[in-house]
Amino acid sequence: MERKVVFPQKLLPYLLLAPQIAITLVFFFWPAGQAIWMSTLLQDPFGFSVQFVGLENFQAVLQDPAYLSTMQRTFLFSFGVTALSMIPALLLAVMADRVVRGATAYKTILVVPYAIAPAVAGALWLFLFQPSIGTIAYPLRLIGIDWNPRIDGTDAMIVVLIASAWKQIGYNFLFFLAGLQSIPKSLIEAAAIDGAREIRRFWTIVFPLLSPTTFFLLIVNLTYAFFDTFGVIHAVTQGGPGKSTEVLIYKAWYDGLIAQDLGRSSAQAVILMFIVIGLTVIQFRYIERKVHY
Amino acid sequence: MHTRRTLLAAAAVAGLALSPALAQQARTPITMWIGVTGPAQEEIMRYAQEFNASQTQFEAKVEFRGQYPEQRAAAFAAFRAGNPPHIMQMFDAGTGDMFALPRATIPVSEVMQRAGVQFDPAAFIGPARGYYSRPDGTMNSLPFNVSTAVMFINDDIFTKAGLDPSKPPRTWPEVIAAANQIRERNAAECGFTTTWLAWTMLEQYSAIHDLPLSTEANGRGGLNAVLNFNDAPRARMVQTLVDASRNKAFQYGGRSNDANALFVAGTCAMLIQSSGGHAAIARDLKAKFSVAPMPFWPDVIAEPKNSIVGGASLWVFNAPNRSAEELRGVAQFLAFLARPETYVRFAKATGFLPATNAAFQAMQAEGFFQQNAGRDVPILQLTRGTPTANSAGYRFGRWTEIRDMYHEEVERALQGQQTAQAALDNTVRRGNDALRQFERSVGAAN
Repeated sequence: MERKVVFPQKLLPYLLLAPQIAITLVFFFWPAGQAIWMSTLLQDPFGFSVQFVGLENFQAVLQDPAYLSTMQRTFLFSFGVTALSMIPALLLAVMADRVVRGATAYKTILVVPYAIAPAVAGALWLFLFQPSIGTIAYPLRLIGIDWNPRIDGTDAMIVVLIASAWKQIGYNFLFFLAGLQSIPKSLIEAAAIDGAREIRRFWTIVFPLLSPTTFFLLIVNLTYAFFDTFGVIHAVTQGGPGKSTEVLIYKAWYDGLIAQDLGRSSAQAVILMFIVIGLTVIQFRYIERKVHY
Repeated sequence: MHTRRTLLAAAAVAGLALSPALAQQARTPITMWIGVTGPAQEEIMRYAQEFNASQTQFEAKVEFRGQYPEQRAAAFAAFRAGNPPHIMQMFDAGTGDMFALPRATIPVSEVMQRAGVQFDPAAFIGPARGYYSRPDGTMNSLPFNVSTAVMFINDDIFTKAGLDPSKPPRTWPEVIAAANQIRERNAAECGFTTTWLAWTMLEQYSAIHDLPLSTEANGRGGLNAVLNFNDAPRARMVQTLVDASRNKAFQYGGRSNDANALFVAGTCAMLIQSSGGHAAIARDLKAKFSVAPMPFWPDVIAEPKNSIVGGASLWVFNAPNRSAEELRGVAQFLAFLARPETYVRFAKATGFLPATNAAFQAMQAEGFFQQNAGRDVPILQLTRGTPTANSAGYRFGRWTEIRDMYHEEVERALQGQQTAQAALDNTVRRGNDALRQFERSVGAAN
């Protein structure tokens, strides 16, 4: 039996859709179109002279060794942030899933970091790792580690990695916990009766059943690491020392706002846009099909 | 009953509060964006209030829009949108961008002339006049917070290390020797540090050693200037920092003003910093300190040249929606800020330099420099000798970005990833790319 709701008017569905379409056009398509248009132009800072230069900005950006090394760094950084935020979140979720007393309190506490603005999270870790007075940096120095993110690129990268990942743990935790709680208890009990120990039960039953959640989070976290870590990096290192913490989004911002090279900055924004489109296509086409529900 | 009476009273009070607001609406608003913080910001805000109280036609509104680079970006965006602030405080590094695009602004000389306000560029101290004027003498922007780089010394640490703070090191070999002695005697965690690395170690350093930054008279001769500061004397300076950072005779303190914290916390014994930071140091440092000129290499130059002005100047934006009345207000407000008494107050409160000769003489006459040892060091350093083409300032587009290129490359040298020479070679190569890109973008604009 087919059940179908049919609207008598032709206009109403379009009217109901209109606000959403307007928002999408104004806030997504229009700026994206502008970015694409600007990426083909060469302009002075005030916009007096606008010259059409075709794909020259893309050519310049993609031939710049600094841009390519920033791209490489961004991928490493993004996978680092994703791993560092998902693994502890899964661990915490598995633990929290077993807690009975005071479960809500634990969950609330674990989710709090997600509510903190990236810049504030950055500042927080900046203080903890501040070379001379930081709460974490001080013991590091006592045990003989010459900790100085101001001049050591690796140290700086560690700080921005931790700060960016830490913020995201709460969000991942929530999704993992929801995923865990939707796994039928009967499956786990059946395995237990068959004599599977806890670790084996996790790897053979829980983890595969969690895979949709895991893949969803993977994409979300990669996107987060690509774009939303700007606040952390801006607050903590400004991309330095050298270029050791400069990621693509930071470079696009710097070249556009500080260097006032709008053409090349827009070209970078367009490249970033294609990366996101790529990630989204992977999410919808590839992963959704391969993952077992 | 009681409630109603309270409400009535509240309404009456609100009405009273409203009436001056209504009166003020008739005033023409004059907006000014600034990028300074701390004592300097407080002072400027106060002058705006005094200006508003002194007349009834205009209302000056001073807004802080982030540090210089962010403020600059915001002003460019506002200009493109057709609504820039009337006045903007642009820092030294942005001066070249503004000179290259004269259509965006109205020269201060012209603003004053149109409004019939008396204005004489000759009243300003030479280095500031030269830096902000066109070759024909037209003053493009009003010098306001004028500074230069000097060296601050923590007297207590010097004494503890067995050094005499009344005889501060004059040359780089003396600075390094003093810093090493401070480290050996463990008088402080670090010998010396510097704020604004590119400004002090490249720009000021090149001026006082009479070395060019580029061809075309440091960019004053045209947009086709080619950077050429990757030579031995400049590389030696970077190498000196790299070597001195091994035993913490030198400690790198970050790109902008961050190193100031290392000095006021007593971590570093010496600090190269803008003279405009004087008041903040006096407020925060819990020790006696003195001020010395920038050190130099005696084998590069026997008599160091003048240093160059830093800080910022005030630019008047040109926009189609500006009325003659608004420009008159702008002229009035700028003239108010340019009075000798305002400059004297600002210089005393912050450590920036008096921008006009009259203001400097007024401070001399009242004995300010006798009572405040060290406050004359920057101005004497700025005005010593006869300026050469290399010490008369520079003018480059995108210099804000080129400074950061220098920071990045020197940071990589400090990390041991490249030599000092490679750091400068890379800065020059990348900087010239940016200059050519700027030249192309601006070429068709004028």
